[in-house]
Amino acid sequence: MSATESADRPDRQPIPAGAVSSIRGRRQVPALQWVVRVLLVLAALGAALPGTAGSAFGAAAVAVLIATPLTRVAWLTFRWTQESDRRFVLTGLGLLTVVGIGAVLSALGVGR
Amino acid sequence: MSGPADEFRSVSHVEHLGDGLLAMAAGVLAAMAGLGGAILLVPALLLTGMTATSAAPLGLVTVAGVSVAAGRRQLTSRVVNHRIGVTIELVASAAAVVGALVSGLLGETFVAWMLAVVALAAAVIGARGRGLRNPPDPACEPSDVGERIGALDGAYPLGDQVVPYRPKRVAPALGFMALAGFIAGSAGVSGGFVKTSAATEIMRVPMKVATATTTFTVGVTASVALIVYAIQGRIEPRSCAAVLVGSLLGGQIGAHIQHHLSPVAIRYLRSGLLVLVAVLLVTR
Repeated sequence: MSATESADRPDRQPIPAGAVSSIRGRRQVPALQWVVRVLLVLAALGAALPGTAGSAFGAAAVAVLIATPLTRVAWLTFRWTQESDRRFVLTGLGLLTVVGIGAVLSALGVGR
Repeated sequence: MSGPADEFRSVSHVEHLGDGLLAMAAGVLAAMAGLGGAILLVPALLLTGMTATSAAPLGLVTVAGVSVAAGRRQLTSRVVNHRIGVTIELVASAAAVVGALVSGLLGETFVAWMLAVVALAAAVIGARGRGLRNPPDPACEPSDVGERIGALDGAYPLGDQVVPYRPKRVAPALGFMALAGFIAGSAGVSGGFVKTSAATEIMRVPMKVATATTTFTVGVTASVALIVYAIQGRIEPRSCAAVLVGSLLGGQIGAHIQHHLSPVAIRYLRSGLLVLVAVLLVTR
């Protein structure tokens, strides 16, 4: 179906006002490309190697995997700081705080 | 990171390969349809005889893997709205923590039925729409593409044209994001199917933006849940590694295919998958 196909319920939105954010993935794209490569190598070794070596590579892969989305949020929060977008700086910090609280509660054994 | 070895099933390379292939298939479909991936992989793993306790962390590894793998393509396509993503994830993560805390109080049957009902509702609501809901605006230029500073508004490229969007009914939509988070915390899935549905049907965010933004947010949800599982000693690194290889490959393939699909095709694909998941959950 093409983009210009007629719609049953067209819902054209106004052109958004305000400045366009400069966040266009110029840093995130190459960084994610490298992370995927590293993860693939670590995970492949973790799955293929037997015993402790396999477990060590697997654990390293999981650690990188966990860190990546959180690093992305931290990076976005930093970039929003540069754009003086206080509302979303607070939102990003709030999200990272919630993640921290969840980890602490889990470490304390709450809900286990 | 791992707990005592005897807590985990003994797995061979063949079983690792099978888990990896299942994760790859789940990753392809998840990245195409804006689902987390766990909602597809976990029922499939259960059908192979794996216990729910073992399957849940593997499902979340798939979610995080697909999110990372699909991220590059979706960022290049300029369809991710990070401001929407972080906003909905703030609510969803807080609810996920609550869900995780009360998960011990909920029976497995209740959780399965809750997931099935929500998946079916999301499928029906998603399939109702016809045609292209958010049409391109000829007045928009390529320089309009992107997020707006201080707002959830934005515009994304669709072929040679540009589609502007402005999220509506944000407050009620965040209520559904909280439901998605609660489901994630209590059931060990990412809740991506609820997030995408709420974003498209309540906030009226374009399908491609909603699926890509959800793929970004479920990576955060999965990370939070994986931290909890790691602290609890429920991560088996070698099984996770096999599943991760599959989900990374699947996520990249799925994101590539999604780029070439129309928003309408994505909507119907998602609804079909959700009906399948609901049937699997109820009949299991």
